[in-house]
Amino acid sequence: MSNIIETEGLSKQYGNIYRVKDVDLKVPEGAIYGFLGPNGAGKSTTLKMILGLAKPTEGEIAVFGKRVNSKNRLENLKNVGSLIESPSYYGHLTGEENLRIFQTLRGVPKQNITEVLKIVRLENQQSKKVSQYSLGMKQRLGLASALLGYPKLLILDEPTNGLDPAGISEMRELIQSLPQKFGMTVVVSSHLLSEIDQLATRVGIIREGELVYQDSLTKLHQYSKQHLAVRTMNNEVTKAFLSQNGVAWEAEDDYLIIPQMKDTMMAEISKALGQNNIGLVRIEERKKSLEDIFLELTGTAVSL
Amino acid sequence: MSAAIGMEVLKTKGRKIWLVVAVMMAVQLLWAGWAISNKDANDLIQGWMFFLYQFPMLNCIIMPVIAAVVASRLSDVEHKGQTFKLLETIIPAQRIFAAKFIWGSIYMLGAALGQLAIMIGMGFVLHFGGPVPWGALASYLFFTLVVSLTIYIFQQGVSMLVANQMVPMTLGLVGGFIGLFSMFFPQGLQKLILWSYYGVLMQVGMNWDETTRATDFYWTAIDWSGLGLILVFFVLIYGIGRILFVRREV
Ligand SMILES: Nc1ncnc2c1ncn2[C@@H]1O[C@H](COP(=O)(O)OP(=O)(O)OP(=O)(O)O)[C@@H](O)[C@H]1O
Ligand SMILES: [Mg+2]
Repeated sequence: MSNIIETEGLSKQYGNIYRVKDVDLKVPEGAIYGFLGPNGAGKSTTLKMILGLAKPTEGEIAVFGKRVNSKNRLENLKNVGSLIESPSYYGHLTGEENLRIFQTLRGVPKQNITEVLKIVRLENQQSKKVSQYSLGMKQRLGLASALLGYPKLLILDEPTNGLDPAGISEMRELIQSLPQKFGMTVVVSSHLLSEIDQLATRVGIIREGELVYQDSLTKLHQYSKQHLAVRTMNNEVTKAFLSQNGVAWEAEDDYLIIPQMKDTMMAEISKALGQNNIGLVRIEERKKSLEDIFLELTGTAVSL
Repeated sequence: MSAAIGMEVLKTKGRKIWLVVAVMMAVQLLWAGWAISNKDANDLIQGWMFFLYQFPMLNCIIMPVIAAVVASRLSDVEHKGQTFKLLETIIPAQRIFAAKFIWGSIYMLGAALGQLAIMIGMGFVLHFGGPVPWGALASYLFFTLVVSLTIYIFQQGVSMLVANQMVPMTLGLVGGFIGLFSMFFPQGLQKLILWSYYGVLMQVGMNWDETTRATDFYWTAIDWSGLGLILVFFVLIYGIGRILFVRREV
């Protein structure tokens, strides 16, 4: 499987602070790559460097297997559609005229305008001035501009900005359909893991400019360590019993959280509790939520 | 390139830029009419020279205002809609810069031709004396264009680089006023100021007799070194503006 985007040691300095540091991004063909990180982590900066809108301080970028330099940059970008930070538009022109500008400059067929307007469901608003569009409509126009040339690679920086819940799920469905329908590879950035969960096939998590995780979303789910939560008729006695038997525990509300263990071990414990007349009332398997993992990865407490 | 220029034209749709040019031309027409109205038949013998003296003076303030407004009108839409970050993934930044310059030049050309039409029209209507000085009028058109386009490219550079359009507008106005007063500056200093070149490249001089209070106009030699300098300024400003625009990160 080849990588559509591959960066090596990509870094960007603003002032004397590295805002992006040694990022090795790998976006496989046909993937929906979720690029995650909290505000100010360096997502937009990284994407801008890939598009040549910002100059890397260090590092290399290859798109479609070709190393990007100032000479071949635009040639390479012919197959890339982008929406960075906020949609680009001319407020005094209509939606259709806006798309006509980008369609003409791209040199792609005129009928693409009608098609992309339909894809983003703006066909009824196309003759309205964009300054009169709602935020969500502007966002969809931005997506339409990015789709105009049916690019092989689509880079969307927080495309759900300003969308309502219905709009968010519509955008998600739309993005999800792009790889199969048009053979596109999509990079979507977001500061919410929940937003790209079930959407992305691969995730990269950036924190203070450094890529702290990059793998499949499934793998990320597996990271969520499982543990057991037990509740007994007498937690105090149980604590002592667990400690005696070398089982680590942690109290959480009415529960004692203990590590995942073999069935035989658990059976031993329940038997012992029974013999001591301590009723075992609940055993639950618990998983850290994806949001917790994300927080751990992006917050101060990195535990992976 | 033609696509980029065509799109510049589309972007100016409904922005009434020609109206600004037309209003400024109307001001010039009224002013010329007023200036000539208190002249007697005797003065009109030197009518052509009078215009070729007065128009460049008025241009010191009129053309910089047109240049500032046009450049700003062409650039503010890009800042407002944050379009550079999309445009620059489609066409080279230098092409955006060039297309804007070419389309902006058309307005400056329109203004220059407009004033020429005013001069010639009034000259015929009022029967100025002597043959029509076609050569001087053609030179006037050329000099006016060279200076105006240099001022325009300066305005365009600032308008494209700075989002806040108050900055180029203020610079344009201040420049215009300095140009107007530069007549009183020493020659060396004059030639360092873009906006004073309408005066530097003037083809007519004036004698004013204090006792008779009569004015007498005479032809002057063309200041070739001045022309050379302003052309150098144009190339420099275009080059610097373009480099800064291309290097700028969005
Ligand atoms: N042009 C610039 N000059 C100086 N610092 C900048 C510039 N652009 C970005 N930064 C800094 O770089 C860091 C990363 O910014 P970036 O916009 O890439 O974050 P982000 O991950 O996209 O955040 P968000 O989720 O808020 O969009 C921030 O600290 C920001 O202040
Ligand atoms: Mg961002």
